[in-house]
Amino acid sequence: MTDSSLHDPPRSAAELDERQPQGQWPPSEEMLAEPVPSDIQEASKERLRAAWKTPTGIRYLSAVNNSVIGKWYSLTAFGFMLAAGVLALLMRVQLAVPENDFLSSDRFNQFFTMHGSAMMFLFAVPMFEAISILLLPAMLGSRDMPFPRLSAYGYWCFLIGGVFVLGSVLFDAAPSSGWFMYPPLATEDEGVGSDIWLLGLSFIEIASIAAAVELIVGVIKCRPPGMRINLMPLYGWYVLVVGGMILFAFPPLIAGDLLFELERSLNWPFFDPERGGDPLLWQHLFWIFGHPEVYIIFLPSIAIASMVVPTAAGRPIVGYSWIVLSAVGTGFISFGLWVHHMFTTGLPAISLGFFSAASEAVVIPTGVQIFAFIATLMVGRVTVILPTLWIAGAVAIFTAGGLTGVMVALAPFDWQVHDTYFIVAHLHYTLFGGMVFPIIGGIYYFYPFITKKKMSERLGRWSFWVTFIGFNVCFLPMHLTGLLGMPRRVWTYPGDLGWDWLNMISTVGSFVIAAGILIFAWDLLRPKGRQTLTERNPWNAGTLEWSHDVPTEAWGARSVPFVTSRYPLWDQPEIVERMDAGRFYLGDAPEGRRETLITSAVDAIPQLVVRVTGPAWCTLVAAAFTGGAFILPTFGIYGPAIVCGVLAIATVIWWLWTATAIIPDKVMKDVGLGLTLPTYVSGPKAPGWWAIFITMLGDATAFAGLIFGVFFFWTARPDFPPDGAAHASAALTTTAGVLLAGTWLSTWFARGLHRAGHVTIARALLIAAPIMASGGAASLIGAVWFPGLQPATHAYPAMMCALVVWSVAHILCGAIMQGYCLARSLAGRMLPEFDADLWNTTLYWHFQGVSGIVTSLMIGLVPRVM
Amino acid sequence: MVWPNRYSSLWHMIAAPVVWAVHFCAVYGGTALVCARMDAPGLARIGIAAASVVALGLIWWIGRRAWRQWDYASRANRTHGGPRAEDRREFLGHSAWLLAIVSAIGVIFVSLPALFIESCL
Repeated sequence: MTDSSLHDPPRSAAELDERQPQGQWPPSEEMLAEPVPSDIQEASKERLRAAWKTPTGIRYLSAVNNSVIGKWYSLTAFGFMLAAGVLALLMRVQLAVPENDFLSSDRFNQFFTMHGSAMMFLFAVPMFEAISILLLPAMLGSRDMPFPRLSAYGYWCFLIGGVFVLGSVLFDAAPSSGWFMYPPLATEDEGVGSDIWLLGLSFIEIASIAAAVELIVGVIKCRPPGMRINLMPLYGWYVLVVGGMILFAFPPLIAGDLLFELERSLNWPFFDPERGGDPLLWQHLFWIFGHPEVYIIFLPSIAIASMVVPTAAGRPIVGYSWIVLSAVGTGFISFGLWVHHMFTTGLPAISLGFFSAASEAVVIPTGVQIFAFIATLMVGRVTVILPTLWIAGAVAIFTAGGLTGVMVALAPFDWQVHDTYFIVAHLHYTLFGGMVFPIIGGIYYFYPFITKKKMSERLGRWSFWVTFIGFNVCFLPMHLTGLLGMPRRVWTYPGDLGWDWLNMISTVGSFVIAAGILIFAWDLLRPKGRQTLTERNPWNAGTLEWSHDVPTEAWGARSVPFVTSRYPLWDQPEIVERMDAGRFYLGDAPEGRRETLITSAVDAIPQLVVRVTGPAWCTLVAAAFTGGAFILPTFGIYGPAIVCGVLAIATVIWWLWTATAIIPDKVMKDVGLGLTLPTYVSGPKAPGWWAIFITMLGDATAFAGLIFGVFFFWTARPDFPPDGAAHASAALTTTAGVLLAGTWLSTWFARGLHRAGHVTIARALLIAAPIMASGGAASLIGAVWFPGLQPATHAYPAMMCALVVWSVAHILCGAIMQGYCLARSLAGRMLPEFDADLWNTTLYWHFQGVSGIVTSLMIGLVPRVM
Repeated sequence: MVWPNRYSSLWHMIAAPVVWAVHFCAVYGGTALVCARMDAPGLARIGIAAASVVALGLIWWIGRRAWRQWDYASRANRTHGGPRAEDRREFLGHSAWLLAIVSAIGVIFVSLPALFIESCL
């Protein structure tokens, strides 16, 4: 990720010189100062407006623009949050008095499971993605996210999966084993609850990863020209860090979900100790996800604070580098904490010590950013705007939650309060302070940007104080309830233990919170038709999103600015006027297409102008079929599920075929200010290449989760592999390894030869490659099939077969990609100088080649050594 | 003056926490293996000490290079908020240096349990 100048040396002789950016960079002050004639301004505005027009009527549902998708996404997540909140209120009613029978125990179990699962998977993480999709392009002066249709696909997946999972509670069929689904309770659970959780949420996790990929590429490649990495809004830094965390946190859970579902539906005993399994493996995989998840939720919200605080203080943030340190440091260290959820599982004390120590260490970077905010407020001239109130409340509550966090990070203290209401109090303090309050503050702050109207100052203050007081009335007593010994997740309790009055207070408090949130919800959603439009920069902020158009325009940025400051609206006084005039880059859309600029990763030097995709139904159709493929197996309907899966793949191929890597009419385009940029690049300059790279990093993490499983069993179980167990065939695993190396190298060579103009040889290699890939997949299956590994008998054969299942699915996906490249070449849609598809497929195979060979070694060689 | 590539590299900025992460995995995984397979806490503790010394050495080296890249002494402006390549270079150096400090603290913290706990129980 390095770059230094406008011109890079061509990677190969065949790379055409005219495909390099040409002309003036950076723009001179005279060029920027030259006015744009008003007739040109008007004409180009019309063309841009036409290109970015949001579809109306029923076709509105086919919209993909980030401003539309972001609104749907955040409102849906808010709706799920309210639903999960209602479950909490019903639980509080049940707990208000001892020996209550308002809810049955099973219903109570379903409610607390769904409350936790929905708040985490359907509200907290999606809300970050929703808000980022909504705001990030504007903060970066960009037209849209790099892959708008991917956002739309992610949204529809989220909606379908969320309704499915949350809806189950209405049919008395919801999961009931807690939001972390510990086996054996969850694996032995009768009914479809656990399957709904596993398949429904896996589906949403995939949508989350898609959004993370999009956001990372957005931050790295879609910054405005001149916005070097040291000038990026802090929000961008947090998005980058959180996106990276999602990539390394969610995949282990997906790997765990795969094992779990294989146990549920095929009886492969990964978590069954009687057959060589170990329930602790699930706890590890779950919490490797689950603890970073807490920071995945917390960092984006604190990112909002990092935007509000400088505005309130009326000055740049103090300690920008320190906040970057804080975000990046927290991102790393948060992965070393997961076992602090498992202090009572009997791991060696010394291992607990490592995690306890890391849990204390993470406080340092987390604290640094809070001090930076306080310093900013101290040296600035603070205007107490409403969002600051929510941020201040957030800091107060979060600090209290952080202090109890320091306490429970110490293993001996944790042994005392584990699974009591003390933990419930702690986690709600961190999540309300670290997520709910800053998000609401952020909505008050960004509402004028999103809707061009303002929310009510008076209702906002009421909502804040009611929620703040209600929160403390509800959760502060829970510390004591927990210390008095009340366990979590009990549906009722006897009346003579001194818990009655505390529970009653908490219940009253919970309804006060609900009242506060309802005031906010009313203020958010009440019709504002007759209200006047907001002024353009109501808080006098310094970042680019406040250059937005009032009334709204769908084009994002009227022209993509040249940025030389962290707070361009404060430091570059003419920037808004020039953006409006279309003085900067891409001020026009002469071809009537949606376009945005791609710049280099570190120094934001313009590299490329890309066409971004417009409204489409294929995203909705693909999401519906993907939903079918995940949801139908819950009910054991496998045939139609497979049909849905195939149709989902077909839809995605159609979507890619018709809309991506299109060979442009002109290879270069004048983007304004004397700069001419290529319209097509392949390889590491292309956003699509980055998306594959980032996706495959996540995918490799999931694979590493499975490998971790093998070694975990080896250390945790004396009978792994069991004496005299059948091993995978050495000959066939070797064959598989060789064939997979062959298909990888064929693809790699095909790319080089194709670029050099040897199209026929490249096509021959692309015919051979999928054949070798299929042969490799078949050999892997044969390697466990012929020696008669029985996955249902013991965790060892089950683990080997799970590795094969994972690899075969990936190899087949890679074979489809090779076939796709061949078809593109034959159809004349991929030429030597326009070969992005082949670059991306090769990149996929770099990862898949390595993991295929590792799989061969893991099943063929490693167990024999163990 | 031609700067080395690392002055414009995000990967170099996060080198120190990557060392922390590798150290953490090695210490946790190594201890789990040695305790489960050999029940030799002494060996685990020696291994942890060695890994920590190596990690701290690496972090010190990364931090020193970052310190030079930050170029603390030469400039009055330490906010690194300017548009020039120097600002970016110094910013990345400053962040890398701060991350090296946090990573070093992390390594020390994580190795401390081995100082006090002498068994695999």
